[in-house]
Amino acid sequence: MSFTAEVQKVAKRYPDPRSAILPALRLAQAGHDGWLPREAIEEVAAALELTPAYCFAVASFYDMFHLEPVGRHTVEVCTNLSCALVGAQRVVDAFEQELGLQPGETSADGEITFRLVECLGACGYAPAVAVDHRYRHRVRPEDAAAIVEEIRADA
Amino acid sequence: MPTLELLLGGTSERDLTRLSEYRAIGGYTAIEKARAMTPDALIVEMSTSNLRGRGGAGFPIGRKASLIDRKSGKPKYLVVNADESEPGAFKDRQVLAQAPHRLVEGCLIAAHAIECKDVFIYIRGEYLTEYEILAAAVEEARTAGLFGDVRVTVHRGAGAYICGEETALLDSLEGRRGQPRPRPPFPPVQGLYAAPTQINNVCTIATLPTIVNMGAAEFAKIGSPSSPGTAIFSISGNVVRPGNYELVLGTPMRELIYDHAGGIADGRELKAVVPGGSSVPALTPGQIDVPLDYDSLAALGTFFGAASLIVVDDRCCMVQLALRSTKFYMHESCGKCTPCREGTRWMVQILERIEAGDAELSELDLLDSVGVGILGRSLCALGDFAVYPVHSYLKHWRSEFEAHVHLGRCPFEGGSSIEGIVAPSDLRHDVGVTA
Amino acid sequence: MNAPETVHVRIDEREAQVAKGTGLVETALSAGIEIPVFCYEPRLGAPIGACRMCLVEVEGMPKLQAACTLTAQDGMVVHTARTSQLAAEGQNSTLEFILVNHPLDCPVCDKGGECPLQDLTFRYGPGNTRMSMEKLTLEKPIPISPAISLDRERCILCYRCTRFSESVSEDGQLVAANRGAMSVITTFEDVPYTGAFTGNVTELCPVGALLPTQYRFEGRPWEITNVPTVCGLCPVGCNVHATVREGKVKRILSRNHPEVDEGWICDKGRFGFTHLRSADRIVDPIMRVHRHGFEPVSWDAALDEAERLLRAAKGRIVTVLSGSETVEQTYALAKLLRTGLDSHAAMLPEEVSNALDAYRLPLSAIGGADVVVVLGDVAIEQSAPVVDLWIKAARRKGAKVLYELNESDVRKAERAVLIWSGPGGRGGATVAAHAERLGVAGAFYVPETPNGRGIADAWAAASDEEAGATDSIGLLIVSGDEAAGNPNVRALAERAEAVIATSMFHGLAVGWADLVLPGTSYLERDGTYVNLEGRLQRLRRTASPPGRDELEWIAALAARFDVELSPSPQAVFAELSERIYGGLSFGEVGERAPLRSYEDAPVHVDVPPLPAPEDMGEGLKLVCYKPLFSGPAVERVAELQFQRPQPEVELSQADAKARNIVTGQTVRVGSNGTSVELRARVSKTLRAGVARVAQEHAGGLLGTVEVSA
Repeated sequence: MSFTAEVQKVAKRYPDPRSAILPALRLAQAGHDGWLPREAIEEVAAALELTPAYCFAVASFYDMFHLEPVGRHTVEVCTNLSCALVGAQRVVDAFEQELGLQPGETSADGEITFRLVECLGACGYAPAVAVDHRYRHRVRPEDAAAIVEEIRADA
Repeated sequence: MPTLELLLGGTSERDLTRLSEYRAIGGYTAIEKARAMTPDALIVEMSTSNLRGRGGAGFPIGRKASLIDRKSGKPKYLVVNADESEPGAFKDRQVLAQAPHRLVEGCLIAAHAIECKDVFIYIRGEYLTEYEILAAAVEEARTAGLFGDVRVTVHRGAGAYICGEETALLDSLEGRRGQPRPRPPFPPVQGLYAAPTQINNVCTIATLPTIVNMGAAEFAKIGSPSSPGTAIFSISGNVVRPGNYELVLGTPMRELIYDHAGGIADGRELKAVVPGGSSVPALTPGQIDVPLDYDSLAALGTFFGAASLIVVDDRCCMVQLALRSTKFYMHESCGKCTPCREGTRWMVQILERIEAGDAELSELDLLDSVGVGILGRSLCALGDFAVYPVHSYLKHWRSEFEAHVHLGRCPFEGGSSIEGIVAPSDLRHDVGVTA
Repeated sequence: MNAPETVHVRIDEREAQVAKGTGLVETALSAGIEIPVFCYEPRLGAPIGACRMCLVEVEGMPKLQAACTLTAQDGMVVHTARTSQLAAEGQNSTLEFILVNHPLDCPVCDKGGECPLQDLTFRYGPGNTRMSMEKLTLEKPIPISPAISLDRERCILCYRCTRFSESVSEDGQLVAANRGAMSVITTFEDVPYTGAFTGNVTELCPVGALLPTQYRFEGRPWEITNVPTVCGLCPVGCNVHATVREGKVKRILSRNHPEVDEGWICDKGRFGFTHLRSADRIVDPIMRVHRHGFEPVSWDAALDEAERLLRAAKGRIVTVLSGSETVEQTYALAKLLRTGLDSHAAMLPEEVSNALDAYRLPLSAIGGADVVVVLGDVAIEQSAPVVDLWIKAARRKGAKVLYELNESDVRKAERAVLIWSGPGGRGGATVAAHAERLGVAGAFYVPETPNGRGIADAWAAASDEEAGATDSIGLLIVSGDEAAGNPNVRALAERAEAVIATSMFHGLAVGWADLVLPGTSYLERDGTYVNLEGRLQRLRRTASPPGRDELEWIAALAARFDVELSPSPQAVFAELSERIYGGLSFGEVGERAPLRSYEDAPVHVDVPPLPAPEDMGEGLKLVCYKPLFSGPAVERVAELQFQRPQPEVELSQADAKARNIVTGQTVRVGSNGTSVELRARVSKTLRAGVARVAQEHAGGLLGTVEVSA
């Protein structure tokens, strides 16, 4: 199914097709290596009969849309209160070490993006790390090496 | 330690994500009962239960439902707020992951009450696994013919705390930037697509099958008379056994912290409890002999909020805690109204100076006063949420703030439990982004 | 309709009585109390309560309320900052927050002195700042188009501009990106803010964030005068202020006429004024001195030559009018030629009809209509842009907007209006006939020129003589640049023994007219125009023309032919007003002119039926139109060049589908052996059977065209 057809199918679920903009941006992002280049925004705009500026405005509001290239894999460490209280910063440090990346950076080979995120809703199982959007609970600094190895194995 | 599991009941023995398992414990019988009732009678039942919203505001669900203009020519909508994003809260997540059918059945009951044919469940984007479980449950129930002419759509958010605010959620669901709307008009009058809309939290809606099954009058007898029923309490931070505990409302906070959660970890001392998610005023160790219900917590000047306790031990620097908390609210401020957008950033700047030991004493008052400028004056409660905790830290731990000024450095000398914690807002490389 | 319920509100111990539902800001104003605002602007749709400047205390409500989002309820008791300490504190802190990241660069800011933020800070704000930390710094200023620059540091994020873009002009191009303190106003990527109405955001902006590039460092409020006049670039006649400094127009601002323009003007009207200073402006008369030489000459020499040419061609003079002349200029020229030289022949700019006069309503009636029918094939946004805003306003309020005449919808409607947007339409007679037949109260006709009706009436008023048949043209008088630029006029000139032209710019008439007199712009004239509603409006001289104006030299020539004519527009108007405007005085035309009554309007006019649609065969009817951003003035404005139309052909959805054509595709448009390549655009409003192309892109196309992928 073409991108437009797929978006328009999703849009039918809503009383107003504009409601499908988040699903459409998500689909577009999936189709463009995990981020939203200009063409991706334009595709969404065309499919939903909105302006590219409107779609860009919406995309830029939400943290899960990326307006710059990202790696094929993401490591996201929560540093909000509950995780911070039980050592999230040491987990951050461990990933920095293992990945050789500062938070916000993507590895030179384009494989891994390392980010910090706000509360993931895993506070009872802190520190929490999302690897490719799947949560890892009670992550200890010493777990970072194994996690990175696991990601690299998939690369 | 009596526990009563209404929301999570059966989840430890069975895989309630499966329709057959949920049915085996009486699932989807409540909707049959509800559909045998008139919508009016069902709303009376909801009112009788005195169930109060579990999203944070504690508004009685029956009253909300009765505000819906069912006679208007417009469609009516039910929207479930599953955009759980309050730091410290992870209760909805467990319901979504382990008892999705209870939520779906609750949706069908509420839909029948307000005569709505279109239900939207707005789930936060980060809850990917939970989304998959919920979407599968919805599909299973739909295929089983349980929906009648009701449509249930699971809509994923995309990472914005503010979308947990009900009107921002509606704007987001309408395909806009998720920014709050001025109220009035309130959603029951003019909500989704300007039509009458009921919005409730996951746990609120998921309680409905129990109410219908046991009868509202019986339900109203559970726990605290002013706030009956159970709540899933999320407890996190420096306790031995963090996690979710479903307890009757009115359970003493001390019992939750010391019995259920096993007390303070690593043999440390309790320093502070932020009882309703990070947005509420903190309590001191002397204040924890309080029943966990709406009114008792309000009497202490704080909020039941999202029934989520963040427990802080004595290793934590309260200035750092305030700074980290405020950075979050600054990061999540939607940017629509002036006080929240400008004030949260200003607070972060002041707190950074205090933590660095660069501030003068007058800046503690400035911090307080900037908070006053936001409090009650922003378009939605996010501004208040940024200020409440900071004001309470300043009030109860002022000497610690003052010590930073007097010493010209953090008194913890690098030993605070959250020393050096970096927030996403510290690294936003799109500062000053040009499109 | 029932009279709206009246409610009583108490504000700061004063009583206000207003209709239920009136906004609290307006309610307070009715009691003489100002509630300051930044984001609130009722013309932008529902209030958003964002800036928090309008905080008030309302009894019975626990928190301060944004007055802009509340409406008057009976018994409401309100305390503004004047009487409520709490409200005053709220307002004070709002201002403090707004200023936290606002640079204090007022001395070098073009908004300084006419800046709502500056004014309100002065009146309500704290005297000093407690913000000693680093302000947010952002790249600035950013051109969001060649015409508008954006200073993001000054921006206070009131969202007026983005709301305009979303819900007034509906172009959806100017948006807010990011979140929280990082929010910025932007267009998409590097795409400039394009559209008919972009400049309005510079006036909506309550700070110096969005500014017209043309006005950068050009004037200070104490050095300028805002002269009220009307725009003369299209038939709407938007009311404007010309900002004048030292005799030069520096800027055009809207001047809200609620019945005409609601305070919105198009970019052509706003930014087009710099054509006055075009380098190729003709400042002296230019005469053919020898057989092939043209030289600037003195006015005396020019008038001697004009007199000679006029005398030589007496009775055989043909006049071509542009449609942009004032009523007074036209009358004066007509009086000279018709009573002094017995020359009655004129090519009027367009057909006019008084059939429409029985259906005259203000343009605002379109905004209040429940059914709007737009007939004709020229896009109104191109020919009379503000009319399109009224149509959009009607649609947003729930009106049905139809592009084909659905008679049952019209008959069922309570407040239907019909609009004819050309081409053809017999000067409005066709749409008037529809209105009469369907019992519709309001009908509009979009003429091609700004003052076609006024010119026709003024020409007719000068004499009762009929034009006789002339087999030869002794002298062709070409009035104005539009006429001079018209190829048909050029062809006519070939047949004339001599040509006198008035023209603002070199290159239009110079080279083929024997005498070219410098023309003036609508901004340099005093006089009147009649707009498409039939509203008589007053033009004021905002800047002096480089030479004598038309009325001046026409009067001077008239004296040589013993025709009594004053060079004063006021006197000329007085004379013609006796004949056609019931003796209305110049002064009475008014700064916000009322729609005059057309009591003498014909009740019924026989309109010959439109010819049956020709059989197009496989082809489409070619409709060529003059794009908004075209013409001699626009061509001379650097800031408008990016707005010039793309080489496009517009097709209806049905025709596009039948030909497998989608928007963006390059297609071949051909007729009679010639063809051009254009980009296709599928239009939702164009009717089937029509292909629409801007005149400048139509090449040699004529009549029926084939369009193929």
